[in-house]
Amino acid sequence: MARMSTEQLAAFVRQVFPRLDQLSYYELLGVPSGSDQAAVRTAFYRLAADLHPDRYHTLADRGLKEQLEMIYARICEGYRVLTTPDKRAAYERALNQGKKRLTTTDRESRGPQNPEDSLKHPEAKKFFRMGMICLGRKDWKGAVMNFNFAHSFEPAAALIAQKLGEAQAALGKPGGAGGTPPKTH
Amino acid sequence: MAVVGIDLGTTNSVVATVRDGQVVVVPNTQEGYLHPSVVSFSPEGLKYFSTDAVARRILDPKNTVYSAKRLIGLRFRSDEVQKALVRLPYELNEGNNEQAVFIGPDRTYTIPEISGLLLGYLRQCAELFLSESVSAAVITVPASFNDSQRRATMDAGRIAGLDVLRVLNEPTAAALAYGLGQNMSQRIAVYDFGGGTFDITILQVENDVFEVLATGGDTFLGGDDMDSALLNILAELFNAEHGIDPRGDQATRSRLLVAAEQVKRHLSDFPEARGDLKNIALGSSGEALALRFHIARSVFETAIRGLVGRTIQTCQDVLASAQLAPSQIDEVIMVGGTTRVPLVRAEVEKYFGRPPRTDLNPDEVVAWGAAIQAENLANAGESLPSRAVLLDVTPRALGIAVTGGFAERIIDRNVPVPVEQTRIFSTSSDNQASVRIQVCQGESRRFDENVPLGELELTDLQPARRGEVSIEVTFKVDTNGILRVRARDGATGAAREAAVNVRGAMSEYEVAEAAERQKSEEASNLPEVPEA
Ligand SMILES: Nc1ncnc2c1ncn2[C@@H]1O[C@H](COP(=O)(O)OP(=O)(O)OP(=O)(O)O)[C@@H](O)[C@H]1O
Ligand SMILES: [Mg+2]
Repeated sequence: MARMSTEQLAAFVRQVFPRLDQLSYYELLGVPSGSDQAAVRTAFYRLAADLHPDRYHTLADRGLKEQLEMIYARICEGYRVLTTPDKRAAYERALNQGKKRLTTTDRESRGPQNPEDSLKHPEAKKFFRMGMICLGRKDWKGAVMNFNFAHSFEPAAALIAQKLGEAQAALGKPGGAGGTPPKTH
Repeated sequence: MAVVGIDLGTTNSVVATVRDGQVVVVPNTQEGYLHPSVVSFSPEGLKYFSTDAVARRILDPKNTVYSAKRLIGLRFRSDEVQKALVRLPYELNEGNNEQAVFIGPDRTYTIPEISGLLLGYLRQCAELFLSESVSAAVITVPASFNDSQRRATMDAGRIAGLDVLRVLNEPTAAALAYGLGQNMSQRIAVYDFGGGTFDITILQVENDVFEVLATGGDTFLGGDDMDSALLNILAELFNAEHGIDPRGDQATRSRLLVAAEQVKRHLSDFPEARGDLKNIALGSSGEALALRFHIARSVFETAIRGLVGRTIQTCQDVLASAQLAPSQIDEVIMVGGTTRVPLVRAEVEKYFGRPPRTDLNPDEVVAWGAAIQAENLANAGESLPSRAVLLDVTPRALGIAVTGGFAERIIDRNVPVPVEQTRIFSTSSDNQASVRIQVCQGESRRFDENVPLGELELTDLQPARRGEVSIEVTFKVDTNGILRVRARDGATGAAREAAVNVRGAMSEYEVAEAAERQKSEEASNLPEVPEA
């Protein structure tokens, strides 16, 4: 097992990356479809020995590194699916439908929370929503105004106070909010 | 320029590096290789580190921070911090962004700052010992550490001026140090019982590839608990003789705890311990009362049997999750000072049905592995004799909050990293303008029963009927076990990425600022040269 040189890694990426979504897990791991778990593991270990991110930790070419990592993550995914019996069965069904990857494309019936749901006053809800829209558009001034209105309708709501704080902080800093989280008091 | 491996322990830390193909461990200022994980502050703002700070746990308990690892990366209000508060003699408070902060004599310190001070000290010890500068490090963490604990550990490293090449799981490091599985396939259990934490990890090792199959542990189980058990035995003896409970006085308690630890160590090598502790309390006529004790190992073992039993229970759970029986384990490696306790060795041997490996020093083995991995990473482009690849897994499941108080899982537990998974959600009300994605770690179906990690928001959604907008949430865990979250508005197709605001963590800015401050302070506060 000779280590791959940077040129070899680059050639590998050129060959595999553009076709990543067209390769089945079997093809990606280089094993026949009937392979048992031990064979899949051996193949995965052989690939990991060359393609684990630690192997090219010092690689200067960022783009190449990122693509290698994406390929490796997909190989890990394949390894896991093929060595987990129920996932593998699901994958066989997906393959029969022409899918190369086991992913859920179904939409979940439940969704993440709507932040407004924690508010009670309808006017507070309305202005809060407008404030959030402003935040999304980086219209800090509008956001401050709307959150202030929302706050006046429901002064006890911590969420409004928090968002107001964020908008004010962003407004105070010319050029935008950036990564600094709000101060919580 | 050297790279080092650092085992940043709850009780002790160890620094090692690879020199001419050999692992060398950096000595402390006394005779050993363990650097107590203690930082102490004088009212003038002077800092004492490690061996110099240990005695101050008794002299100035309020200003002497130990066991910072029990607090790192946790919110002040988390159960763990609240539980630790009761036992720690120094004061903590809630700081910015729900963090726990130490109230020092001159100012407050975040926990990554405390650990950063210690890491900076360790870096300087290594620099003096190696006579070259140290720029980068691999720092180890318990395999059970969650995302925020790992991030905070990295922050601590950055504050100490280190380029953190990797946060590495302690058991993986230990297995690497043992150099197992070079030409064969082996299943290894790493049983790590340290000062504050217990971890059990099952690895598959084959041709220099180390794969974590399963891992579990208890962040509140360690040698400290054995000390407390012995403290109680000592206090009861005193109480029986003099009718005074010496645990009431904080200073006496600290002293007894130190004595208890010594007794514990003694009992690892001898069947009984005897001693005489002067001036424990004052009697009715003002005379100084002493504590004379004689404790048999069997008495100690009765007191700690439950603690050891908990570790075996965890072993059982972890093996079960990997669908393995104890007999399917080829080697058991012992890590951590607490594995020197004979009862621990006996119980482990009984459970696994084979004598555990103890040939490498259980205190140093993790730092050894970290040093080897640091060398591997720093020289990734070159051919090295050791080609070990460490395949780690996610320690806990990761998910988000959905309506009804539930947690929807996005990434399972024990999945090889790096990993990226996407799930698609819908809006829950009409004309919803934004969604709030709260991220959590843990296996429970209920959001509240998991550890909250942080949150991000997706704003400016297109107005639509409920359920019509799809929101794609992508979780990505890198090789350090650190999570990145991306949310995308499926309706507009506009990719919107938002950083998770991690609760209980320092901001980027605060970390950079702390690093600057430490750098300038370090220049005026050099440690003593360790005798090489
Ligand atoms: N000979 C001994 N007998 C019993 N216990 C011992 C002995 N030597 C050390 N210990 C205990 O080992 C513990 C420290 O172990 P270690 O240095 O491995 O912990 P750590 O790595 O700092 O902690 P953690 O792994 O929890 O972060 C202490 O509780 C100490 O009292
Ligand atoms: Mg340890």
